[in-house]
Amino acid sequence: MDNKVKVVPRYGSSFKDRLYLPAIYQGMKITFKHLVGNAADSNAVDTLEYPEEQPTDITDRYRGLHRLTHRQDDTIACVACFMCATACPADCIFIEATEREDGEDEKMPKRFAIDTLECVFCGYCVEACPCDAIRMDTGIFSLTGNSREDFVLEKDQLLAHKGAFGEEKSRARK
Amino acid sequence: MSQTEVVIDDKRFVAKEGSLLIDLLIKHNLKVPYFCYHEALGADGNCRMCMVEIEGQKRPQIACDTLIKEGMVVRTKGENIESVRRNILELELINHPVDCPICDQAGECKLQDFYMDYGLYDSHIDQADKVHHQKHIDLGSNVMLDQERCVLCARCTRFTADITKTHELGIIGRGDHARVSTMPGKKLDNPYAMNVVDLCPVGALTSKDFRFSQRVWFLTSTPSVCHGCAKGCNIFIDHNREKYKDETIYRFRPRENQAVNGYFICDEGRLSYKALQENRQVERDRNGAVCSEAEALKAYCKTLEGAKGEIIVLADPNLYREELVAIEAYAAHIGASLYAPLEHYRDEDFADDWLKSSQRAANAKAVEILEIKTTLPVEKAGLLISFNHPDAAQIKAEKVISFQTHIGKDAYDLTLPLAVFSESAGTLVNEEGIEQYCPRAIKRNEPIPTVIEWLTQIEGGDK
Repeated sequence: MDNKVKVVPRYGSSFKDRLYLPAIYQGMKITFKHLVGNAADSNAVDTLEYPEEQPTDITDRYRGLHRLTHRQDDTIACVACFMCATACPADCIFIEATEREDGEDEKMPKRFAIDTLECVFCGYCVEACPCDAIRMDTGIFSLTGNSREDFVLEKDQLLAHKGAFGEEKSRARK
Repeated sequence: MSQTEVVIDDKRFVAKEGSLLIDLLIKHNLKVPYFCYHEALGADGNCRMCMVEIEGQKRPQIACDTLIKEGMVVRTKGENIESVRRNILELELINHPVDCPICDQAGECKLQDFYMDYGLYDSHIDQADKVHHQKHIDLGSNVMLDQERCVLCARCTRFTADITKTHELGIIGRGDHARVSTMPGKKLDNPYAMNVVDLCPVGALTSKDFRFSQRVWFLTSTPSVCHGCAKGCNIFIDHNREKYKDETIYRFRPRENQAVNGYFICDEGRLSYKALQENRQVERDRNGAVCSEAEALKAYCKTLEGAKGEIIVLADPNLYREELVAIEAYAAHIGASLYAPLEHYRDEDFADDWLKSSQRAANAKAVEILEIKTTLPVEKAGLLISFNHPDAAQIKAEKVISFQTHIGKDAYDLTLPLAVFSESAGTLVNEEGIEQYCPRAIKRNEPIPTVIEWLTQIEGGDK
């Protein structure tokens, strides 16, 4: 275990850091730069007229709505191992496992649902998945519905979500 | 055999001379990995995992086949012995499919445990180069076999050879091609077959009944006693309450008790958990209509007051002793005669010479000790109050109040729901007179009253 521990240096104890004033000055410099710039030209204000204007700066690291990925043969990649449900701090992933009959592995989810109202979008499920079967790279940042049930995304909905950044299939499954 | 002193990891232990070293290690919780050794099956010495260093011996020795000698000095730790174990583990794992995500054993698998304790090496073999065998073979008797996951410890084959003496399982092939199998066309078929699932240290033998129903790390184990017969085999009730659902039992597992059942239980007892959550009586039912608790209590009082002639109370001999005592006091209080007929529970076909008793009532001995009448009452009763007795319909009575756990085919004047044994706590006395306490395992979202809870309410309603 010892050889895996990395000692990270602790910052912030120098005289300059403990004065705080240089850091405050740095921050205020940016604030005033924007204040002066925006006051001079109100058209250059860096805001977005949502929802007419949609954000264009969503990166592939953005944790959007979840999706379930496919294998190369377009079947579900998930094997219902419950790693995501185990890792989930909000306990919002509901899986029922069943036998998989097509000869690939043995197990697949009969039901796979995420209650997005309970979800905290931490991305632990993505981290935990050994099959690259769940991802949050859809780029979808808003979900609307008329009832609480609308926000419980079932397997079919999660499989229908597309990856927004080019990677369509699971990279861990054949 | 005489007692002798041995030194293990610089500590002194007293043990019987000539007993197995591994038993001493297990007894004192000294960590030693092993697959093939099992207290019930004895030493086989094939897995080679339990290597220890013994002073004066050239090479590491297996603890499971080493007899304790006077003045032995043993080391179970140290770089040398750990590298030996790591290499043996790597050999065991060399063709392992590493499909833990879809394996039901994951979480209680010895391969996983030992890999985390002693392995942590990088694999030398590519997934594509591994030798493949058959997966998910239905062996019969609710047992699934995955030959790839097997470490060839031969616990299962020794169980069928030495304990059930049915000889269904064997290891065929040599080297990389060795695998567990049944004879062609034959199935695993004996009333204790599912014990091989518990015996299997890895995911090679898994239960078809439990298959994919839960991951084991979600389960809570509560110790209890099987109610299948008067033998009183010790079990663990493995249960879980999933979010937004009710608490559910997923399996029974045997619990070691040398005085009663050793390490095993019969398949019928193991699968008896299903009956605890199927077809349950949950509603209070008066003359065929569902009624509220207050109405039920009112109806009870009215029926009791209006009773003409003798009152008979029937108690199920499966109830806990505390419950039987409470019913006895209750029967005396209302001036009724108490019976706990055992006739229904005689089942000679069920019995064998090991863990199955022809007495199917779990607490028949307690009934005997409490001197409750065990015959079926023949006289006609004015009022019959039955506490879950299956023979209630056979007794002639003008009015019947039935407390029952399961929905029956007979309709009574007043039917009230009753908790099953997993939802209650109490003592069972098995046929040999051994008293065993069972704590409450299951707490339903909407609890069903136990016998004691009903009697407390009824007494309150009386006044």
